[in-house]
Amino acid sequence: MKVSLNWLKELVELPADTAALCDLLTKAGVEVEGVEERGVAIDKVVVAQILESTQHPNADRLSVCQVDDGSGQPRQIVCGAKNYKVGDKVPLALPGAALPGDFKIKAGKLRGVLSEGMMCSGKELGIADDADGLLILPPAANPGTLVGELFPADTILDLEVTPNRPDLLSHVGMAREIATLVNKPLTLPAGVIAAATSATAPATDITLEAPAAGPFYTARRVRGVKVGPSPEWLRSKLEAAGLRAINNIVDVTNYVMLELGQPLHAFDLAKLDGGIRVRTAQEGETFLALDGKSYPLAANHLVIADASRALAIAGIMGGEESGVTEATTDILLESAYFTPSGIRRASRELGLSSDSSYRFERGVDPEGVLRASARAIGLILEVAGGTAEPATSVAGNAPTFGQTVPFSLDRCNAILGSSVSQAQADQILSGFGLEKSGDGWKVPSFRQDLTREIDLIEEIARVIGIEAVPAREQARFSGLSEADRRHDQAMRVRMLLAARGYREARTLTLISERGLALFPVEEILRVRNPLSEDQVILRPSLLPGLLQAVAHNVRGGTRDLRLFELGRVFRAGSREERTAVGLVLSGAAVPASWRDPKPRQADFFDLKGDLVSVLQSLKLVGAEGLTFEPASHPALALAVEIRLGSKPIGLAGQLFPARARDLDTTAPVLVAEIDLDLLASVPARSRFQELPKFPAVTRDIAMLAPLGVPHGTIEKVLLSSGEALLTKVELFDVFTDPTGEKIPSDKKSVAYALTYRSGERTLTTEEVAEAHTRLKERLKAELEVSFRE
Amino acid sequence: MDQQLEHSRTEALAAIAAAGDEAGLEAVRVKYLGRSGTISLASEGMKSLPKEDKPRIGKLLNEVRTAVTSALDERKAALEAERDSKALGSVDISLPGSVLPAGSIHPITQLLDRAIQIFRQMGFALADGPDIETEWHCFDALNTPADHPARNEQDTFYLPDGRLLRTQTSTVQIRTMEQTPPPVRIIAPGGVYRRDEVDATHLAQFTQIEGLYVDKGVTLGDLKGTIEFFFRELLGNDVQVRMRPHFFPFTEPSFEIDIKAAALGRGDRWLELAGCGMVDPAVFEEINCKRGDRAYDPGEYTGFAFGFGLDRLAMILSGVPDIRHFTESDVRFLSQY
Repeated sequence: MKVSLNWLKELVELPADTAALCDLLTKAGVEVEGVEERGVAIDKVVVAQILESTQHPNADRLSVCQVDDGSGQPRQIVCGAKNYKVGDKVPLALPGAALPGDFKIKAGKLRGVLSEGMMCSGKELGIADDADGLLILPPAANPGTLVGELFPADTILDLEVTPNRPDLLSHVGMAREIATLVNKPLTLPAGVIAAATSATAPATDITLEAPAAGPFYTARRVRGVKVGPSPEWLRSKLEAAGLRAINNIVDVTNYVMLELGQPLHAFDLAKLDGGIRVRTAQEGETFLALDGKSYPLAANHLVIADASRALAIAGIMGGEESGVTEATTDILLESAYFTPSGIRRASRELGLSSDSSYRFERGVDPEGVLRASARAIGLILEVAGGTAEPATSVAGNAPTFGQTVPFSLDRCNAILGSSVSQAQADQILSGFGLEKSGDGWKVPSFRQDLTREIDLIEEIARVIGIEAVPAREQARFSGLSEADRRHDQAMRVRMLLAARGYREARTLTLISERGLALFPVEEILRVRNPLSEDQVILRPSLLPGLLQAVAHNVRGGTRDLRLFELGRVFRAGSREERTAVGLVLSGAAVPASWRDPKPRQADFFDLKGDLVSVLQSLKLVGAEGLTFEPASHPALALAVEIRLGSKPIGLAGQLFPARARDLDTTAPVLVAEIDLDLLASVPARSRFQELPKFPAVTRDIAMLAPLGVPHGTIEKVLLSSGEALLTKVELFDVFTDPTGEKIPSDKKSVAYALTYRSGERTLTTEEVAEAHTRLKERLKAELEVSFRE
Repeated sequence: MDQQLEHSRTEALAAIAAAGDEAGLEAVRVKYLGRSGTISLASEGMKSLPKEDKPRIGKLLNEVRTAVTSALDERKAALEAERDSKALGSVDISLPGSVLPAGSIHPITQLLDRAIQIFRQMGFALADGPDIETEWHCFDALNTPADHPARNEQDTFYLPDGRLLRTQTSTVQIRTMEQTPPPVRIIAPGGVYRRDEVDATHLAQFTQIEGLYVDKGVTLGDLKGTIEFFFRELLGNDVQVRMRPHFFPFTEPSFEIDIKAAALGRGDRWLELAGCGMVDPAVFEEINCKRGDRAYDPGEYTGFAFGFGLDRLAMILSGVPDIRHFTESDVRFLSQY
């Protein structure tokens, strides 16, 4: 809300400077979003009339003017503007004037011709944004008077009023708040004081057909008004608060709204067909509002109507047809109370808000309805003449909000940790217009937000300020929660992946159909009201986002990629949300360097190595039972299921090359995703094992095996042999020859290093040889292998 | 014999000094100390010496052997040192070091983890809740009226079944109190969603951290102490914290928290970073109603809550001009952290 300090000053004594006032408001919970200086507060800028204008003898673009500055002596000014004519009145900065931007005016020669001052544009005076030539003043301006009198200086504050404080949405309301904060009296204008009481009569021609939404409606007619422009004081106050002057009647209604916070509306009485009906709209009814737009109304929207049609959307906007125009002579002035929730709903549903709806939907002071009407009538008679009905017609009852709220000082201090005295509390609460009533406080009707003890405690907190509350540093002990453990495990996984060269990404949780297509997953969850097609689906996997990141990086020139993300994924059904870690790997297996300028490209086994390493580093119980089983996925040319024991914990594989090309890369793109929630339930443990005391013996074993026999099978045959001395089986060579020249093309040569060790003694050559022979026999018996010796 | 030994000594020491490489030196060793070397043979010859000569010759023999052996060792060490320094002396130490791929932790994760560590110092435990929430947890229980502006399709993402994507991590306050009687002292980091158009300072989702402490005798002073400690730890001792009264449906009194600190690099400007307040008794009553008990009797328990977004703070602390860098996963960006 825009607030004029000139206006506020009429109501309360303000702190000496604007910064102090802003500070005061901020600390009381009213945020100052902007401070704007208006008008001209510069000495030695006067009204001047241009008497004569001739071409400058030495400069095509300049002219030489004689002006009347009110001194009786013509003054010569050299001027570059072209937008004036002789006889116009313009602002003239005399020598010695200091214009905004510290621009000092001096008398001097311009291209050889004396200029005793400068004629100014609006921009040069700091009152306009554009500088389209000189500022042409109204013909009535008197030469020699200070321009500041035409453009009085004012400071406009743009204030953010929180939704619980509708009472601050007016100059009187804001002044009342400031008066309490600085403990100064509030001075109301005589017209407002006089309006406190006014004659009323029960309405005979107002029917309240929807009393829940429109419980209280008043109307007063004024006949014989002369509609025309408002006087300057009225126009300037409206404009200061950011409203446009329209005509004297409309301007008065807006003025009273800005003054007292009660929105008003004036109808052209001649356009009304019979009495006022406050009713709900009919289904299908449309309404042409003042903004020139037509609004389709719904049955729960409240309208002000006459016998034949709707005249206004109640509390939101009047109609084009019944508004006050230059031709209007008789008016009906509405002042009413509408229930906030109804206004809020209608405003939202219609997508239409106004200064009026802004106030009604937050709640106006029901006891201020009649006062605002009387105040406006007084001003209308003053600025537009006419004769008002002797009494205001009143229909229904204003809701009463004068509740008494309990208050205990002990509880106040207990919650705030403060030491407020009873006298201090009394002063604060009564300052806000509350009255002590028994053990509690009676709340004024304009403070509907104060309904509970805690609301009064908050008022005290606002006034004493947080500075008056001593900060306390004390804690309660807390054990690690399940969430703590998960966070710690997640951070450990992040560290391990970072240590293996992966960079953490944090992609968006909401993804597009196109993103999902990169890595299709079923059972997805969608948002009902997406903002754009980029954010439609709750990601069922981290891989669509990571694959988009691959494409983004490749297009940016980065082809060697190791990315991971750890975050939530979503699927319909049980375990709807889970935490997963996703990996993508593509490009060089190690960074290219002078040692290795063309490193090989990373493949599935690099990814597998990273997965095994990270999972083993977590020291999960049973991690030795980590296996990779063949699986399938529509996006993966090579897909494996990752299992811990018999439990599937994730998926890994290599993207179909065609899909990789869609990401603009020809390198293999490896992906993996692991369900961390499943890992979180696996205990982690590392236990000491005695270090070996006796040396180990290593023997190699090289064999030709059918191509179809996997390494895993050979390893299993060896490890399940029950050979007590065998402690380790390491594959160190795999060789195939599709040409069949070196070895048959349907065979592969594989070589293992077998490590033998005893915990009790140094092994003899003989016992190692025996064990080695037994293992070879076992391999031969179980698999179709032959040994290359 | 004496002269022969003296001669061998002189000759051997000269040969050792003259040996130009390790092979030459080894030849010298074999010549004098090898199985049929001069000195070894003299040793053999001891047996045939007269008894009275044995001690004298034996002593001399020992002296010669020791002198030759130590000269050999010295020369060998010198030759090795010469070889080693030749081998490594020509290395161009300005060549780049070998690198493995470098990994990194996302700046928001780093900030989040730092924040968690600070709250842990203060005895807060982590709590967790789902991103997909009910209207009750996100709004009703937090004293937000049914016609509140935040509760519409313009501002909040809804699922077809009427549930929504939480707009604040305050939902975790509710879930925690539903399940646990007081005292509770928790923080809840997590993703939240607002239906905002994406631009340089807005995403439709961001990361918040929420805090809640409910106990007997919790005061606004505790809240102030907690907030001030947190920002001092995070941003340094020069930090200034301003708590400005504000309005939130779920706390009363409520404050917005503004921060000034050199680490933020914003000169004398306040940065609005967080919201906080004393838990509104209406929230406790909603919880009691749901729990079916009086565990959170507002006459007995009080509490404070706070929440703040991490993305903007991370932007400012790391000088990131556009919030979209955080989610684009550009390696050129990620590698800066």
